[in-house]
Amino acid sequence: MVMFQQTRTHTAVCLAILAALLLYAVMGGYFAREIVVEIAILAILAISLDIVAGYGGMVSLFHGAIMGAAAYGYGVLTVKFEMHPLPAAFLGVALAAIFGTLVGAIVANTAGIFYIMATLAFGQMAYTMVFQSRWLGGDDGLAGLPRFDFEAIGIDMNDPLAFALFAIVLVILVYLAAAGLLRSAFGRTLCGIHSNEARMRALGVSTWIPKMRALGTSSLLAGIAGILAAQHTQYISPELLHWTVSGEVLIVVILGGLGTLTGALVGAVAFVALKHGVGGYTDHWHIVVGIMLIAVVLAGGRGLFGQCHHLLRQRANRSANATGDGSKSHA
Amino acid sequence: MSESGFWALQLLNALQYSMLLFLLSIGLTVIFGLLHFVNLAHGALYMMGAYIGVSVAAATGSYWAAFLLAPLAVTAIGAVLYFTLIERLRQAGPMNQVLVTFGLIFIFLDLVRIGWGDIALGLDVPQAMAGTARVLAVDYPVYRLFIIALGLLIMAALLFVLSRTQIGAMIRASVENAAMASAMGINVQRLFVCVFCVGCALAGLAGVVAAPVFSASTGMGISILIPTLIVVVIGGLGSLQGAIAGSLIVGFLETMGAVLFPQFAAILVYVLLAAILVIRPKGLIPARG
Amino acid sequence: MRTAMARIALATAVSAFALPAFAETSVGLILPKSGTYAALGNDIQDGFVYALEEAGRTSEFKLVTEDTEAKPAVGLTKARKLVLQDEVDVMVGIVSSGVLGAIRDFVDGAKVPLIVANAGNDEATGKDCSPYITRVSFSNAQVNRPMGKWMYDQGVRKVYTLAPDYAAGHQMIDAFAEAFKAAGGEIVGGEYTPFGQTKDFGPYLTKARQANPDGIYVFYAGGEAISFVKQYGSFGISKEVPLYGTGFLTSPLYVKAEGDGAIGVKTSLHYVPTLQSTENKVFVAQFEKRYGRTPSEYSVQGYDAGRLLLGALAAGAKDRASIAANLPKVRYTGPRGPMEIDPSTNNVVQNIYVYETVKDGDALTQKVIGEIKSVRDEPNGCKL
Repeated sequence: MVMFQQTRTHTAVCLAILAALLLYAVMGGYFAREIVVEIAILAILAISLDIVAGYGGMVSLFHGAIMGAAAYGYGVLTVKFEMHPLPAAFLGVALAAIFGTLVGAIVANTAGIFYIMATLAFGQMAYTMVFQSRWLGGDDGLAGLPRFDFEAIGIDMNDPLAFALFAIVLVILVYLAAAGLLRSAFGRTLCGIHSNEARMRALGVSTWIPKMRALGTSSLLAGIAGILAAQHTQYISPELLHWTVSGEVLIVVILGGLGTLTGALVGAVAFVALKHGVGGYTDHWHIVVGIMLIAVVLAGGRGLFGQCHHLLRQRANRSANATGDGSKSHA
Repeated sequence: MSESGFWALQLLNALQYSMLLFLLSIGLTVIFGLLHFVNLAHGALYMMGAYIGVSVAAATGSYWAAFLLAPLAVTAIGAVLYFTLIERLRQAGPMNQVLVTFGLIFIFLDLVRIGWGDIALGLDVPQAMAGTARVLAVDYPVYRLFIIALGLLIMAALLFVLSRTQIGAMIRASVENAAMASAMGINVQRLFVCVFCVGCALAGLAGVVAAPVFSASTGMGISILIPTLIVVVIGGLGSLQGAIAGSLIVGFLETMGAVLFPQFAAILVYVLLAAILVIRPKGLIPARG
Repeated sequence: MRTAMARIALATAVSAFALPAFAETSVGLILPKSGTYAALGNDIQDGFVYALEEAGRTSEFKLVTEDTEAKPAVGLTKARKLVLQDEVDVMVGIVSSGVLGAIRDFVDGAKVPLIVANAGNDEATGKDCSPYITRVSFSNAQVNRPMGKWMYDQGVRKVYTLAPDYAAGHQMIDAFAEAFKAAGGEIVGGEYTPFGQTKDFGPYLTKARQANPDGIYVFYAGGEAISFVKQYGSFGISKEVPLYGTGFLTSPLYVKAEGDGAIGVKTSLHYVPTLQSTENKVFVAQFEKRYGRTPSEYSVQGYDAGRLLLGALAAGAKDRASIAANLPKVRYTGPRGPMEIDPSTNNVVQNIYVYETVKDGDALTQKVIGEIKSVRDEPNGCKL
């Protein structure tokens, strides 16, 4: 697995996407702002999944449940206990981090498809428990969740534009946090474990702790997505925790490019745009999305961003070789 | 109803559900075991088996025509998929396989909506099996007894083929070590195609057999994935004995859970899955020991 | 010069009268168009459009349709789009109670009238009611309550209940059980089955038989209803333990798929296409001519949403506030019978019919065997 490197291509694409989202939110009207928030939530979730799946090699299928844990934590504290949104949000995110890490600890011995299924099992357990709980509202959900109150600094979060911009800011922060993490020594350890766990252990590195840390951080970030989702609709229901949500995030990450971090952003934009764009013309958008997914794999299997990045790097190498500039030609 | 009668009925219910699960999961585990291919589209093929079965039965008025033709049709679809897509993706890595087969699920879902509409459809059991028969001192639906018999028959047939025939030996060798098997002169490529087609046929068969009990609906391809994956993973991927064990365990647990602990019925199977994976991270009877 | 001016004045006066009293009414149809509930969404839409066509006033309406996918978050996004971007005067639809729960606060806060054409969640016209939400379909309790007394009057004394384990399932069974016990009956047992598509009801049917009831009362809809009725039929217990339930169990929309297991099942619903009133016979004939299929309870819900809106506009409503105020005042006799809205809950007051599924040649049809007039819900915490 390639170590994380924020290349110029990465930065260019990230900035382009963020600029596009900003413009769309400001110029696009009400529906545009809803779409931007939807993309933001999916992007944050995808970034969090990419950390563990793309770089840590732990593909998990319960990030929807982690996000849901934060959303329900926030919802219960604000609606049932009338706590102020800010501390409730922190506690919600903490709940998500604890839940994710706990599950990760229990299933640490499994790998590959078994790891996927084990995480799915726990996610579905959480879903079923929330679904059947009368106190949590069951499948009727919980309504009346508040948004943050930034009146003191003159921002009205009930204004769709303000909320959309807030969502974009969160995406930036989450991306920077993830990038920082992956570039640090911890990030290198993680990638090392992914490439060859046996070797890392032979080197005397404990593999269990870094994996838990990775999952904990990933769950924390997923929790942030959960708070954003809860505040967006100001209503939560158990379907947030269903495995199909987790499946959708996984698809988004793979679509954009697993293990590239920027791919998470690209995938989120592509998936939401495709769904709404096609949905505007026909009710049968599933077929178009299905074909698109297959096309992405047949084209090279690196995801949208991964493929572009790969092609650009090949071209750079070729031109470097052609000009005889030895310093750039080592891949 | 007597106490023993009640338990006899529930035993038959559990057995019938286990056999249905077995029919559904055997195709998936066989394909994964040999081709190492995560075929999520298995659910879509099961759905196609059900819908094609409905159409054939409606056109010919005969359930048996559907029983015969639906698996064949699904095998044909599977063969087309294999030569156009799957073969290319065998080396593509599990993530890309997940992406492609998920894409296939989406495509088939809308194809079914376009071809058969949005409302769930029913398939009648054959006239001969429409009533009940006396078994273990209770009256049990004949069609469900048929499912039990069919499941046991296919179990026996597969066990026989795998352990007593040459092709079975070749398959087992290839599952164990494909490179070595190929070096020994086994045409592993041809074996893959064969096994894939058999897996698809089983998925189609499961669809047409299940349709009279449940209904044919557009969500069935996705909703069947979880129970099937659970059976396969609990049992141990790629092993026939694992699929048998897994389907019996899940079938009995779900049925007895519904009888004895109904409030937990929805969650039981996930608890079982988690418990087994924590204790035996590779499933109960994995193919490679 | 004077004649010219007179002619211009006359022309202006005439054109002033020729202008419509209000501009085009824009309607946001908010329904599931993909996914498991797409068939219901399409039925409701067809019914609604037919109501406009029947009145000959389609040109006065602009329809904008959005797909909720029956998911609360998506439904809310689409509702916001319809209200804030498309600026519709009224919204019609909502199949799933989850979506209704998600958009309720938004609709109430944005003061946009919503005509609920399906979602039966009791609280929507109970403690979560709103002057902007008018329900023309049914409430979960309303469809089940009358069966309690009706079954008791038929001589049924002991009942075992089954329903899927989600909010609607609980509401339906609770309403029936309360009424049945109030009439003097006994609920000898019941289970809630895990909510999902693929379900083997064998273990539950066996348990139900063991409880030795006079009848089984269930609520299932869609694919689950088909599975349940078929499996019930296959066990051959209809002679010992007859099956009763909410009409969605044997809805004309999919009863054909249920086969002989559905024969003899008695259920209650607010509409079946075989109602013998003049209004209904005309409605069914015209609907079949227009769309090539028999109307279902979903089609008639969409139709009545259209009738309600037309009625509100005919009374002079022209903007969101006046439409919301006038909707609850509309009364007429439609295919379901006499229709009115209860101002204390904004829920429909309607007849509930008990019908038996019978064989008619090769097909299955509904024979009406009971009618409970003007079923009205208690306010249940609604303060309008």
